[in-house]
Amino acid sequence: MYPAEIKEYHKPDSVEQVLEIIANHEEGESLLLAGGQSAMQAIKSRMLRPQCIIDLQDLQELKTINDESETLKIGAMVRYCELAKSSALNINFTGLKDAAAHVGDRQVRNRGTIGGSVCWNYAAACTPAAVLALDGSMHLISSGGETKVICADDFFLGPLDTAKSESDVLVSVSFKKPKTRSGSAYKKWGLVKDALPVVGIGAFVKLDSNGSCYEARIALTGMGVGAQRATAGETLLLGSDGDQQSIEAATESICANIDAPTDLSATSDYRYQLIRSIGTEVILTAFKRASI
Amino acid sequence: MKNIKLTVNGEKFEEQIDNRLLLVDFLRDNLSLTGTHVGCTYEGVCGACTIHLDGDAVKSCMLLAVQADGHNITTVEGLSAEGSLSNLQQAFNDEHGLQCGYCTPGILMNMADFLTENPNPSDEQIRHGLIGNLCRCTGYVHIVRAVKKAAKMLKDGAREDRT
Repeated sequence: MYPAEIKEYHKPDSVEQVLEIIANHEEGESLLLAGGQSAMQAIKSRMLRPQCIIDLQDLQELKTINDESETLKIGAMVRYCELAKSSALNINFTGLKDAAAHVGDRQVRNRGTIGGSVCWNYAAACTPAAVLALDGSMHLISSGGETKVICADDFFLGPLDTAKSESDVLVSVSFKKPKTRSGSAYKKWGLVKDALPVVGIGAFVKLDSNGSCYEARIALTGMGVGAQRATAGETLLLGSDGDQQSIEAATESICANIDAPTDLSATSDYRYQLIRSIGTEVILTAFKRASI
Repeated sequence: MKNIKLTVNGEKFEEQIDNRLLLVDFLRDNLSLTGTHVGCTYEGVCGACTIHLDGDAVKSCMLLAVQADGHNITTVEGLSAEGSLSNLQQAFNDEHGLQCGYCTPGILMNMADFLTENPNPSDEQIRHGLIGNLCRCTGYVHIVRAVKKAAKMLKDGAREDRT
């Protein structure tokens, strides 16, 4: 595990400079480096052999969490350790906090970023699933300087694949604040604590004034296909107030509609059991948080 | 090749290095600070190479040395002041928090940062904090005890030097 030759290293301090460096290179030559907690592994194993590394660590404009009136905007270079502590995520978006607080280990959380994780989109990563459950939107600036906004449903295309093109720079991930009560949660189960999930589930519910669910989003990871929605389960939560029967029906429906693979970590049946147990806990927690 | 300037354990350095040089190798081979260990052939899983980058515990095999340009680094050599052990090091000695000692520098650096954030840690919090550091000798019982003792020493002001 040692990097191949890296001809150029740049540490720009503005998005404009990043775009300029990208434009000066052929496709496939340059690589954007955020926290590097996944990308450096790929560079050391030589799965990636970038000619030119563009280190984003000095982009101060990408390091803030903006709690605006209608949206919560998280800069792409905000680290897991900052997400895990941020009070701005407390009300509606606690699910993202749950995920960030248990990524890898302390050292990884001190360096890894939300932007790096969503752009890398590892098959069993927690952040893409949490962002998908919370209906996040990716804000990108492309080579011409124009801004693109891509919702999570369209952004995550499968393991290591996203709708971001090589010449785009992700600047932030935003979340629309619900106008009614809402709650979210995320939990995973891995072979050891905080390891990559064998199964990870995020849930987001919005309740009307009677406490009845009118919109639900559930996302899964760990099935070998990257972050995925579990729409069959979502539908069964509509009209529910978080009652056990509806939640049970939702998790059963997820199991019936999603393929759970057997691999070295777990059998298919074991994954279905995890979906039932973690799914129930996560959905219940989301309802409870919405009721506070 | 790139010229970098950085501060390591309070001392300023300027070096010409290859872009692909990992920070851990820069510290060990260029600066001869061999207290920072490589336990897992740079796979980022063992935590033995943990250092402080601007005060935060990070794994130095997960960074290129050029990324540390302009930054402030502390290695295990920088933990103790003037030849005396820090509270954390003393607690590891008192509680026998190591056997072969290979993982110890990384654990000390991670726990020094951990204790500044968690001055009154529970066993559970310490164990959660230690996930990124593998120790194949102790079974962690003595390590957890040592970190707990260090927290108490720091609270009681047993020594005035750094964590």
